[in-house]
Amino acid sequence: MRLDLNDIQGLFARGYRAHRYARFTLFTAPAPAAEPATGSALLQWLLPHVTTAAPFAADVAVQVAFTASGLRWLGLPDQVMGGFPAEFIEGMTNTNRSRFLGDVGDSDPRYWAWGGADQPRVDGLLMVYATDSGLLERRQEELRQQLAGIGITETTELPARERGDTEPFGFHDGISQPVIVGLPKAAGTERTVPAGEFVLGYPNARGQLTDRPLLPAADDPMRLLLPDPAGSGAVDFGRNGTYLVFRQLEQDVEGFQRFLDAATERTDGSADPAHRTALAAKMVGRWPSGAPLVKAPAQDNPALRDDNDFAYSGDPLGLACPIGAHIRRANPRDSLPTGSAASLDTSDLHRLLRRGRSYGPDGDGGAATGLYFICLAGNLARQFEFVQHTWLNNATFNGLYHDADPLTGSHLAGGSTFTVPARPVRRRYRGLPQFVRTRGGAYFFLPGISALRYLAQLRKSGRPMQTPA
Amino acid sequence: MPHQLGVTIRAQVEAEQVVPLRDWLAKMAHSGTADSLFAFGRMRGLHFAKLFVLDEVTDFDGRRIPASLVLMTEVDAPLRPHMAELIDVGGPGIDQAFGFCAGYPGAGANRRVRIAWLRRHLVQASAFYVNTVGRGLQQIRQEAHLHDVLEDYLDQGDWAGRAPDDVRRELRAYVAGRADLAWAMRPPAPPSLPFRMREATHKVAVPLALLPLLPALTAILPVWAVLLRIAEQADQPVTQRPTLEHLEEVASYEDFGTQNPYAVAGFLRPGLLRLVTTRTMMFATDYAVRHIYNDDDLAGIKTIHFARWVPLDGWRRMTFATSYDGAVEAYNDDFIDQVWWGLNAAFGSADGYPPTRWLFWGGAKYEQQFKNTLRIHQVPVPVWYSAYPALSADNIEDNARIRAGLRDDMASADAERWLSLL
Repeated sequence: MRLDLNDIQGLFARGYRAHRYARFTLFTAPAPAAEPATGSALLQWLLPHVTTAAPFAADVAVQVAFTASGLRWLGLPDQVMGGFPAEFIEGMTNTNRSRFLGDVGDSDPRYWAWGGADQPRVDGLLMVYATDSGLLERRQEELRQQLAGIGITETTELPARERGDTEPFGFHDGISQPVIVGLPKAAGTERTVPAGEFVLGYPNARGQLTDRPLLPAADDPMRLLLPDPAGSGAVDFGRNGTYLVFRQLEQDVEGFQRFLDAATERTDGSADPAHRTALAAKMVGRWPSGAPLVKAPAQDNPALRDDNDFAYSGDPLGLACPIGAHIRRANPRDSLPTGSAASLDTSDLHRLLRRGRSYGPDGDGGAATGLYFICLAGNLARQFEFVQHTWLNNATFNGLYHDADPLTGSHLAGGSTFTVPARPVRRRYRGLPQFVRTRGGAYFFLPGISALRYLAQLRKSGRPMQTPA
Repeated sequence: MPHQLGVTIRAQVEAEQVVPLRDWLAKMAHSGTADSLFAFGRMRGLHFAKLFVLDEVTDFDGRRIPASLVLMTEVDAPLRPHMAELIDVGGPGIDQAFGFCAGYPGAGANRRVRIAWLRRHLVQASAFYVNTVGRGLQQIRQEAHLHDVLEDYLDQGDWAGRAPDDVRRELRAYVAGRADLAWAMRPPAPPSLPFRMREATHKVAVPLALLPLLPALTAILPVWAVLLRIAEQADQPVTQRPTLEHLEEVASYEDFGTQNPYAVAGFLRPGLLRLVTTRTMMFATDYAVRHIYNDDDLAGIKTIHFARWVPLDGWRRMTFATSYDGAVEAYNDDFIDQVWWGLNAAFGSADGYPPTRWLFWGGAKYEQQFKNTLRIHQVPVPVWYSAYPALSADNIEDNARIRAGLRDDMASADAERWLSLL
């Protein structure tokens, strides 16, 4: 099935690497009684600006996504909402889900900067990317005025740091991405992942269509939506849309440095910079340059900075790249105990299309720094939530004992050990502090263009309003 | 070491007692008072326990099946002292829980009367899977302790430049020198001789008994297959999804640690064909888990500590219950990708299961139908006890290998691999 790139938002096809400046605006819809057509007005104005996945050369890109409450506000009927999975409907801050995702302790939504229980409801997300900062500022100002003009006043702006080569802990990031069938990069790539893993309405890695909201064709009299590709005769609200996970992950850079210093200082108390870098690399699975440890076990090799062509079969005991290293658990590749081929197939069921951006000052600015973790996934439970729970935060991942992800994991519940396999005896680091803390987050739906057009007219003709939950 | 038993006790709950019982269970679960009430931790050889309610349902013939309370334990043999301890140790909890049930003698009754009542409510499983048959609670705990001792010892030494053999020798000498770890230098005792003889006899007797029936079975098989295939044509895809309320309740008892409880219950599809199919598959499952999958994995899945299949209400219903590692999403994915055929064989005749083809194909392969139907039929388990909540089945197996590696000589490469377990 050909990808309908003109109907898919651009973030699916690209991370806007050349658009080094980005700002994300969260908004809360005004009370419905105030102005029924607000959502419609917003979308009418936005639609011409929304960037698609088709070939693209503009200096500014705009994307728009909605939470479940946002879609209700726009007028999506309950029976259509019922076609979304529970994860999306319940949202990221559901108590059981918080426990599942490791959003406990300091990361509890009670302490979040936005999106938490006592904060304004998040209904929508506007993402603006630009090639220069002035351009971003101008477009952002225009956006502010538009939002205010149509009555959306409750907003939170999340400014990303200028896109650079390293994330706040000092590592080159975002190297490994799934290569999607149907996108130009797939040509000549050995291992690809079916598009349905990252966009709805296309076969997924199991050759099936992931559940998505369908509605009777009669409910779309203007024929704005595309037909259900399964041939049911219904129209498909989900088609060419996908889920967008947004989490603000604050990184305790100072704490990370302190831990490394203390763990690697020599017996005489002096610093050991080489050992320090090596330990940090063991935690990540790559050197600061990005070079993977399985290919550069002894020292950094900047020539391998974007290398993603590696496997773990040559390193079964983790002597080069620890079993518990961040990248070996976020994407275990061939290293799961089911054996190489089956392990690769399993890994493909749990891929994330990462689109994150760092925030905060670059260097010792004193202000908080971190990552706006953003990823796209066709199945929140099987992709994002699985990776977060079963691979990253799982203290017994792949035969480990007390080891959650050393870098991003929750180190509260018995997962605060990091084991570095070595000859003849491993070294274990115990009592790791928490280096990453969740400060906000929500699950969004990033609709296809047809679905946006459909949403734009739902309230236009004065249809009855529903109260957002 | 003893073999393990899967004990199921089920008792009817009067209609007016269902809501109070459920409220009591939920309140106890969320306030964390179950441990002190049931004192599961003080029952000898108890690995896991779960307590849950099966709601009132109506079967395909319109017959009402009243609600019931189910207690499941996985415990080291023998049965008799365990049944006594349920009352003698867990009495305060058992009396209250089964006090909601019809005919329970009550806390004031003689202990023997209460034990006898529980025994009368025992339900036989049609198959019971034990991750590693014969690995008792004491062994699991001892070997976890050995693991911790060795890890600490390794932390204290400077091993740079030493050969793996050499390190292993030192660890052996250390353990051998500690009187409290003397057991670790010996292999764990096997299960009792009568148990081993019974299992060995069963292993041989079943194929032998089936041998003379082979011609008849060969003749019946194609007929059965065609009939089943015809019946399968009428099976409908799963279009239902679990309600948010149900998901919320089930999830409120999940994901507090390394392991999770799991229980599903549902009707068999009506008709003799489905009943015969299920009973045959259960017979095969019983044989497979006793003689093939009795050491470390269930058809390749290594995350399940215990599992059981229990027919209910005269084989009109089945329940399947496990204690497993990780989360339900991962658990289901393992099933879909590794033992879809086994799941289809065991549950293909269950009402609401995604349609199978020739019993073994289809079914679990329909990912979302499969996941939805399992969630729909999942029963919340408000009371759940694990004797070793932080240990994955992998950890337990590795700990056994650590102990085994202390005994015999091994090659240098093996010593290195053995050391990597620590």
